[in-house]
Amino acid sequence: MLELKDIKLSYGSTQVLNGVNLSVKRGDVVSIIGPSGTGKTTLLKCINYLAKPSSGTIAFDNVRMDYQRADKAAVQAIRLRTAMVFQQFNVFKNMTVLQNVMDPLVVVQRKSTDEAREIALRELERVGLSSKRDSYPSQLSGGQLQRTGIARALAVRPDVILFDEPTSSLDPELVGEVLKVIKDVTSSGITSLLVTHEMQFAKNISNRIVFMDRGVVAADGSPAEVFDAPSSPRLAQFLQSELSFQ
Amino acid sequence: MDVSAMIPELLSALPLTLAITFTALIAGFCLALIATTLRVRRVPVISHLVDLYVSYARSVPVVLQLFVAFYGLPLLVALFGSEDFFSPTIAAMVGLSFYHGGYLSEVMRPAYLAVDRGQHDAADSLGYTFRQKITRVVGPQAVHFALPGYGNSIIYLIHNVALVMYIGAADVMATAHLIMERDYNQYQFETYLVLAVIYSLMCLVAWLIVRFFELRSPMQAPEATTTTPIKNELIASV
Repeated sequence: MLELKDIKLSYGSTQVLNGVNLSVKRGDVVSIIGPSGTGKTTLLKCINYLAKPSSGTIAFDNVRMDYQRADKAAVQAIRLRTAMVFQQFNVFKNMTVLQNVMDPLVVVQRKSTDEAREIALRELERVGLSSKRDSYPSQLSGGQLQRTGIARALAVRPDVILFDEPTSSLDPELVGEVLKVIKDVTSSGITSLLVTHEMQFAKNISNRIVFMDRGVVAADGSPAEVFDAPSSPRLAQFLQSELSFQ
Repeated sequence: MDVSAMIPELLSALPLTLAITFTALIAGFCLALIATTLRVRRVPVISHLVDLYVSYARSVPVVLQLFVAFYGLPLLVALFGSEDFFSPTIAAMVGLSFYHGGYLSEVMRPAYLAVDRGQHDAADSLGYTFRQKITRVVGPQAVHFALPGYGNSIIYLIHNVALVMYIGAADVMATAHLIMERDYNQYQFETYLVLAVIYSLMCLVAWLIVRFFELRSPMQAPEATTTTPIKNELIASV
């Protein structure tokens, strides 16, 4: 359903993505792992055009776009079918938890307030935040903020959900509540791309692991293939350092 | 003439003072909004011209800006064949609007830039258009950041309205001088004291209104004080 071809992107003289190819099938749960600075987050942001590649193509079912000739309609079509959960939460600070989840439904999807409210309350129930629906972001913990972000992403009924290091900004004691919700989301069958440093978690919930190194996909396979039989010394070294740390 | 007779005479000039202030407030706000939009979107050439305007409004003394408006704008209007259009009051309104607009733009622009980049990203990723993003997400947050500076700029504007007497507009300051001259400068201290009270009250009302909106801002919600229990056991379960 989603295919990225030869994605290249640089920030100034630093080449971040150096020809990434990636295809995702409907229902896949793909974890993207790799050392910091290898372009994992940037790749995720290329999908919904928050980062603008210098070249490459994206195909999202029947929507196709060449990044060198990106057009607004295609970008909007892709954005309406994806939803992103951010490392820094990025919950709208001027809205309550409930308004955060409702607003995209009312403003972008033109749903009625009643319908949007119903959907939002259902998703907040799902992530265990019903009791906080009238709280503002400044009144929430990091874990609650991230669960708000997940509820907002789920409410728009995306075809693909993009998790960008959803637990990296959390205190260790708050990581569990967010991972639990992500596990619940991914096990419901929704196509997911997850950038993470939680190796054990990635192994448990994913059906595919993509290892990125120096701006390219250096390994791609099932969790068993990647974790139990690393295809390169670089991957083995990375896994060893990550798993020993955890 | 005693003080009690002087007060109503001073207050009779208050409507004109308020008219000049409100016109400059509204027109200046619109100018600032346009200038800020052009500056943050970096429209080629135009944004540089706007930078020049903002620099003029902030660096040239306000009284000089009023003289430029008073002597310069009639010449400009005369080019289009409508002479005698500008009265001192209109020149004061135009001059102060341009001053306030430029000054306020330097309050709005940093407030816009103070909104976290992630808020833009979140709105973009959800498919908000630029207009929806500004009206629903970025604008309300920028207003929160801008309010204290906006309050200050209103107070500066009220102070600077007192300068319109130099171009002949009959505001409370000009009226006070007329009263003092008519009474052979007998009650200077009393007149200036009443004037000080009038300006203080105008600034107080402006400050209270801005403060009201500051406190009503959703981003002003008190922060949580409760701690979240340790949930390490959840990590093991996933």
